[in-house]
Amino acid sequence: MPPPVVTGISPKEGPPGTRVTIRGEFLGNKQSDIIGVSICGCDCLLSAEWKSPNKIIARSGPGKGRGDIIITTLTGGTGTSTVQFRGYHEAVGPLKESAVWVEEVQSIGWGSTKSIQLDDPLGLSLEANENKFPEDDLQEMFPGCNGDLSSENFSPCWFLLQNHSNSSFDDLRAGLAFLRRKVDSHQEGQLSFLKGNVSAVMEQLEVLEALQVAFQKDVESFGLDRTEKIVEAIKECRNEGKMLFDGVLKGREKADRTRNALGVLHRFKFLFTLPTAIQRKSDYDAIISDYSRAQNLFGKTEVKLFKDVLTEVRLKVAEIKEELKKKLHTMPSSLDNQKKIIRNLVQLEYEGDPGWEGITVRMNFIMEQLNACHSFYSEQIASVKPKSGKRDKNSQDKQAAINCRVECIEDLCDIISILIPDLWSLGQSYFSGELSTKFDQNKLDEFKAGVENCLKEMCRLVREVAGKGLTGSWPNCLQVVRAVLVALKHIPHDTILALVQFFRIECVKNILLTTAEQTKRLVDKEDWVLIHDSTHGTITHLPSLFEKLFNDSLSILKESALKLGPKEAELFSNPAMKSEVNEHAHAIFNNYIQCLDTLSDINDDEQSMSVSQLAFPTFRTSLSHTLNWEDRVLACISNCRYSCEVTVPRMEKTWNEAELPSLDLSKPTSDLRSLKSRLTACYIENRTDPLVGTVEPSMYIGQFEWEADFTPVGVRPYANEIIANVLVVHAQVERRCGWLKEEVLTEVVETVAEELSRLMLCVSHMSRAGAIQATLDITAVEHALAKYTTTQARNFFSEALDAIPALDEESKKTVDKLLAEYKKKMYMQLLPFEAKSNS
Amino acid sequence: MSKKPAPQPALHKVIMVGSGGVGKSALTLQFMYDEFVEDYEPTKADSYRKKVVLDGEEVQIDILDTAGQEDYAAIRDNYFRSGEGFLCVFSITEEESFQATQDFREQILRVKNDENIPFLLVGNKGDLDEKRKVTLAEAQGRAQDWGVPYVETSAKTRENVDKVFFDLMREIRSRKMEDNKMSNGRGKDRCKRKKLKCTIL
Repeated sequence: MPPPVVTGISPKEGPPGTRVTIRGEFLGNKQSDIIGVSICGCDCLLSAEWKSPNKIIARSGPGKGRGDIIITTLTGGTGTSTVQFRGYHEAVGPLKESAVWVEEVQSIGWGSTKSIQLDDPLGLSLEANENKFPEDDLQEMFPGCNGDLSSENFSPCWFLLQNHSNSSFDDLRAGLAFLRRKVDSHQEGQLSFLKGNVSAVMEQLEVLEALQVAFQKDVESFGLDRTEKIVEAIKECRNEGKMLFDGVLKGREKADRTRNALGVLHRFKFLFTLPTAIQRKSDYDAIISDYSRAQNLFGKTEVKLFKDVLTEVRLKVAEIKEELKKKLHTMPSSLDNQKKIIRNLVQLEYEGDPGWEGITVRMNFIMEQLNACHSFYSEQIASVKPKSGKRDKNSQDKQAAINCRVECIEDLCDIISILIPDLWSLGQSYFSGELSTKFDQNKLDEFKAGVENCLKEMCRLVREVAGKGLTGSWPNCLQVVRAVLVALKHIPHDTILALVQFFRIECVKNILLTTAEQTKRLVDKEDWVLIHDSTHGTITHLPSLFEKLFNDSLSILKESALKLGPKEAELFSNPAMKSEVNEHAHAIFNNYIQCLDTLSDINDDEQSMSVSQLAFPTFRTSLSHTLNWEDRVLACISNCRYSCEVTVPRMEKTWNEAELPSLDLSKPTSDLRSLKSRLTACYIENRTDPLVGTVEPSMYIGQFEWEADFTPVGVRPYANEIIANVLVVHAQVERRCGWLKEEVLTEVVETVAEELSRLMLCVSHMSRAGAIQATLDITAVEHALAKYTTTQARNFFSEALDAIPALDEESKKTVDKLLAEYKKKMYMQLLPFEAKSNS
Repeated sequence: MSKKPAPQPALHKVIMVGSGGVGKSALTLQFMYDEFVEDYEPTKADSYRKKVVLDGEEVQIDILDTAGQEDYAAIRDNYFRSGEGFLCVFSITEEESFQATQDFREQILRVKNDENIPFLLVGNKGDLDEKRKVTLAEAQGRAQDWGVPYVETSAKTRENVDKVFFDLMREIRSRKMEDNKMSNGRGKDRCKRKKLKCTIL
């Protein structure tokens, strides 16, 4: 880029600070291109503002006279200028407007300002300034000259052009004459001067003469030395003056002194108001600051007045100190308040260690509070207990006592979580020197021990209270204790942590215990509402109730004890703890099993059995249960199986998910199984006994004898009864728990077969008709019960048949005929047995 | 300021005169930098100088853009003295500015004391013909009275801008050549002119 050329300037002249628009070519492409702007030799870069490559705006500097405008750009270097700027300084006169303040003093001295020139040597009036001939033109015309009269280079033409360019020719001529006259007068001698001034000279002579006369007159009347008199007069005057002024000065001095004294008194007014202010006890801080100020100012004063006041103040301050001390020892008081008191005491130069005192007071206060709280609640609990005279009220009272204990723990925790942080912060302030006390570093341990003691005391009390039992409120209390932990976040709280651990353990134990208890009480909750389950037969609500109870407990545990708080340790790291928990869990299951056992009633008296003896399923007992015994037993069996197969595995899963120590439930399961088989056996026994018992009486009903001779016409009623009874059992089992059918019926059939074989073996004599009859009966029964006949039963049946005398062909035919008839007749009755294969 | 490097091209000093706001600065800036300035900022006294080629000869033109406002009337004399040629500008949309040219003419003649000083009457704002207040005939009549050319320009469209400056420069040049002849040939004429000045005063 070529060097910049300045070709235009607007305006072309002006005083320093004029806003100048510089125009030209190659003035840079951006603001940062410009690295130099000089107007009349003055650097104006600072004010330069780049507008376009043709235009820059800047402010002129203090340069005077004509000068180039030189722009320097980064790429073009130093430039040139075809135009020039003229800087001039405006003389500020008294009548000229000015942007700056002009000292008036200067402008008043008219004569001293340069603007007023000497009288014109031509004796002509000066022209107005505005019409001055431009100086630069003059300079051009008369190089090296100037118009200054006193200068060596004085040029008359310059002078005339400068001052009289507008004067008329006549005026100038007159001026010339004037000048000439002046010069001529200088050239004439002294004589001509005297001549010109004869009258004045004569006048002077006359005056001198008169003076001489007067002087001589004075010498005559006053003597030659007149100064003596004057000196005396002056002395007198001086004394007079002194006297006059002494009075005035003294008066003034006095007034000054009084004013000073007043000023001092006013300045130290606060000292005198201090005693009353102390009396009012309004603002300790103000009093203290005033006091310390007074101490500083007057501590070593010798002035009696101040001394007196100060002693008074000191007395009062001592009182205040006492009062503050009392306040410090009064609890409760807020932390800020206490800190303030301590600070105040320190400022009052209290003898002793107010900070430590405050800490001790606070510590003792906490201890007191803890113990007071504990004893208060102890009394409450004690007052609750004596009332428990009657048995039914006992549980209520127990609950009330527990509530009391819970409240006690809550209050203890509150006390700690509110007061300990205050104490700790007070201690920190104390040991960090914030309380402006000198502190004893040895006391730090003491302080820590104190805090620890407070916490320990609290823990001791809480444990003591909790030790008396909290039952269901453990989780609550755990929460409360944990809240303390949070409140003491910044304070060493291992003790509390231990307490929390203790609570958690207790919580787990307790909840498990409670669950076991509640499980026991499930007996009362059984409502015997039957629910049909396709795979497990009819069950009741019991298993699900138990499961719910168990799950509820676990979820409470999960929310309370098992949730790990910050810094809390794993609960079950201790193997003893693990086994204890397992024991508790087993207890729960044992209780459940026991519960089922109790409900089944199998160990109950025989009353219910006798009632349902051979009864129809629709028969209703008058017992409290809406179900008869068999149904209940069957429901229990179903419950056992259901629990075993569904509920218990599910609970095991829940337990393990709860991050409790893994639980081995094989024992409860096997217990349940054995209970189930026990119940089944019991049921079978109870169903079979009456059934079998009726066979013999029915067989010989109506003095029936096998030896007699009769014509067998069909199966005898006793066989039908056997079948009917088995059908009843079948119906019941089928309805209540289908899966048990096989087991029960095979057992029943086996017993029946055994009984039949026993009866047949007992018959000593049997007629032909008897034999036919017996064979028919047994075959019919065998046929009917064929589905549930085991090998053993079949053996029994063949034993029975063997016991009957052998039949001839005819008899056999009769039997077959009758059997066919019977089968036809019994088809409907036997259908249920057939149905088994279908189901 | 008498530095005289030998090959310095001839310098013609042109002075812009006319009432405030007629477009003296606009004409100047258009001539100098080919730009048209829309915003009005009263001039005090601006100076521009650049090299131009006048009829194949390189010359320098020095333009003194003066203030139109009456406030500066008193200092005009000084400026006028140094001028060699004058562009007397008025706005064809403003009657008063046209009237004022009379005063300017008189002042210039008084200061320069020369009836034949190079002088152009310029009617600016020719682009605003619809707002015209001064008829062409009026202006031409006055120019004829004075014996000077009249040109209508537009600083906005650059119409006749170069023409007025170059015309004026040509006049100045021919005037200078005439003067040179006179001073070289017959010094008397020059004296005569000076005498003439005295009689007028």
